[in-house]
Amino acid sequence: MKKINKTTFFVVLIISAAVAALAFLGVGDTIKSAGDIRFGIDIKGGVEATYVPVGLDRGPTADELESVRNILELRLDDLNILDREITIDNKNGEVLVRFPWKSDETDFNPQEAVAELGQMAVLTFRDPAGTVIVKGEDVISSSVITDSSGNYLVQLNFNDEGNKAFMDATSRLVGQHISIYMDEDLVSSPVVQTVITDGGVINCYKNSAQAFDLSSKINSGALPFSLSAKSFSTISPTLGSGALQVMVRAGILAFIMICLFMIVYYRLPGLVACIGLTLQLALQLLVISIAQITLTLPGIAGIILALGMGVGANIIISERIKEEARSGATVGNAIAIGYKRAVTAVLDGNLTTMIVAILLIIFGSGATLSFGYTLFIGVLLNFFSGILASRLMVTSLSYYKGLRKPWYYGARRVEA
Amino acid sequence: MMKFYEKRKIFFIVSCAIFLIGLVFLVINGVNLDIQFKGGTILKYEYTGDINSNEAAGIVQGTINKPVTSQITEDMATETNRIVFSFAADSAVTPEEQVAIDDALQTNYPDNGLTISESNTVEPFIGHRFLQDGIIALILAAILIVIYVGIRFKRISGLSAGVMALLALVHDCLMVFFTFIIFGIPLNDAFIAVMLTIIGYSINDTIVVYDRIRENSSRKDLKDPADLMNTSVTQTLARSINTALATFVCMVVVLIFARLFGIDSIVVFALPMAIGILSGAYSSICIAGPLWVMWQKHKINHSIHNKVKRKAVSH
Repeated sequence: MKKINKTTFFVVLIISAAVAALAFLGVGDTIKSAGDIRFGIDIKGGVEATYVPVGLDRGPTADELESVRNILELRLDDLNILDREITIDNKNGEVLVRFPWKSDETDFNPQEAVAELGQMAVLTFRDPAGTVIVKGEDVISSSVITDSSGNYLVQLNFNDEGNKAFMDATSRLVGQHISIYMDEDLVSSPVVQTVITDGGVINCYKNSAQAFDLSSKINSGALPFSLSAKSFSTISPTLGSGALQVMVRAGILAFIMICLFMIVYYRLPGLVACIGLTLQLALQLLVISIAQITLTLPGIAGIILALGMGVGANIIISERIKEEARSGATVGNAIAIGYKRAVTAVLDGNLTTMIVAILLIIFGSGATLSFGYTLFIGVLLNFFSGILASRLMVTSLSYYKGLRKPWYYGARRVEA
Repeated sequence: MMKFYEKRKIFFIVSCAIFLIGLVFLVINGVNLDIQFKGGTILKYEYTGDINSNEAAGIVQGTINKPVTSQITEDMATETNRIVFSFAADSAVTPEEQVAIDDALQTNYPDNGLTISESNTVEPFIGHRFLQDGIIALILAAILIVIYVGIRFKRISGLSAGVMALLALVHDCLMVFFTFIIFGIPLNDAFIAVMLTIIGYSINDTIVVYDRIRENSSRKDLKDPADLMNTSVTQTLARSINTALATFVCMVVVLIFARLFGIDSIVVFALPMAIGILSGAYSSICIAGPLWVMWQKHKINHSIHNKVKRKAVSH
């Protein structure tokens, strides 16, 4: 630590202040402020539902679940719910849907939305007059193939009934459009080129994404199962925002109390600890808002606990410096030895906490997952702000003649 | 130097007494799993004016023909009334049925401004999986931590350090568990989160003590394990108490705010957490340390005993 000098403290202080300002105020749209953090539905209110297939005696395949996602995306579009999360759980064969419930939507009925979303999608092929030619249940499957010139084609396989109906329709409609609908949404409207007797192909796709999209939508209409919301929860926006306010107020009060305690009890290292804790909190909020991690109530609890760990680390260090100062070491030595000896305990403590956080991330679902993430980030940041930044600051301050009294580091006045 | 080892019996008795109280409550109350784990439905409505709880339950039951219990809570701070409908695991309510319930209640109580504030439905098998995952996470966390401690504290005989740290962890987990039981809080995912946090916290405390034992273990004047432990714990006592107090106060502030504003989900999280933090500090000082000394003393006695035996054989 040779490069530390008198100005180091101010450099770290200014950086901390800048990070804090950045976290709380934000810069334009790229770095969002703490107020723009993406909150979970338990805070902003909303709906969370786990859909599982019904009437299926096997687990759904990954393709089928992907199709389910497509249907749900389409339907949420229809409901004008754009800020949503759809997660596929291949292991358990489930689809998890989350979407917020905005406070201005007074007539919004979350239960109805959940019920509607789970209904089976109806795929229909219709002629220009709107008459249904073939229904989704007659489609066996659809896949994407390429022809000799490299164009992407969507191939359709019908059952016998479907084949016959499709042949009749195509012979009648050469040169006209056949429209494919998912519920009441027009998905595609290809022109019939020839009479199709055995299945069919829909061509003229320049890129594979379009073709795969259509194919998977057709497949989803051909799903052998419908969905049922086996688990779902709704939280009204007012209840959630109340909870957030309580957490934030409690957090601010607790933070102030801890800072007062640290400064009164540990003096100079205590003051530095408070700056370090502010840095840790600001960095954590920045990470959450930049990475757009969804912050839930348990997530906030994780932040508070990580701060608690940070306080713990600072107490270990300050206590050690105090001990060394009381046993008569010079201030410089007390700081150097204090940090050196305290670091192993802090390291072991933080690493074990990280083991717990990682397990929460692996095994957790919903609430515990969010808790695991924030705890992990917080403890990781603690290495930086709790050990490195605070050491730089304390050492730098000790170079000022006026701050070199052992009393500032916890030694008793008589010994100073 | 404070005599922690010599007072170990008092500590053990205190802990056992609390466990006993917990056990009594466990026998009386039983384990109450939240619907998150056992499955079922909970619907919470906010309303104004007066609603008869039984009458409302009758309307709900008549609408969807599933057994329901209802409960009314009044929140003094926010002056809102809440009626809670609960359905058992085998009669969880589908979204369609919830829409029907909503309609029926609105028709019967048009002037009470009924609005749904919270609803939660969990299928039993999903709930069981949550619980299973949570328990696996708990056990794995405990095992990994013991291995970590065992490796890091080789110098003070890692295995005993690891096992005793584990016993302290079990002690704290039981304390948290009994907090849920005694206060009648249903076990939910907050329970798993609190347990894991307390495991992290408790091991943190224990590690600080072990770290000092490791550092002092080279001192010539502390050959006796009891002296070594007593000295180390005394040296780290201020730190242990200050950390526990700081975090405890944090949780109490959260608890008070949550209680004042009627946010139950946070109350049931903060209360066991606060108690777990105290237990974590207590167990590191009063349980893990003395137990470690007992193991060391046992080992010394054992090896002396063996030496005597071997001598006897060779003669």
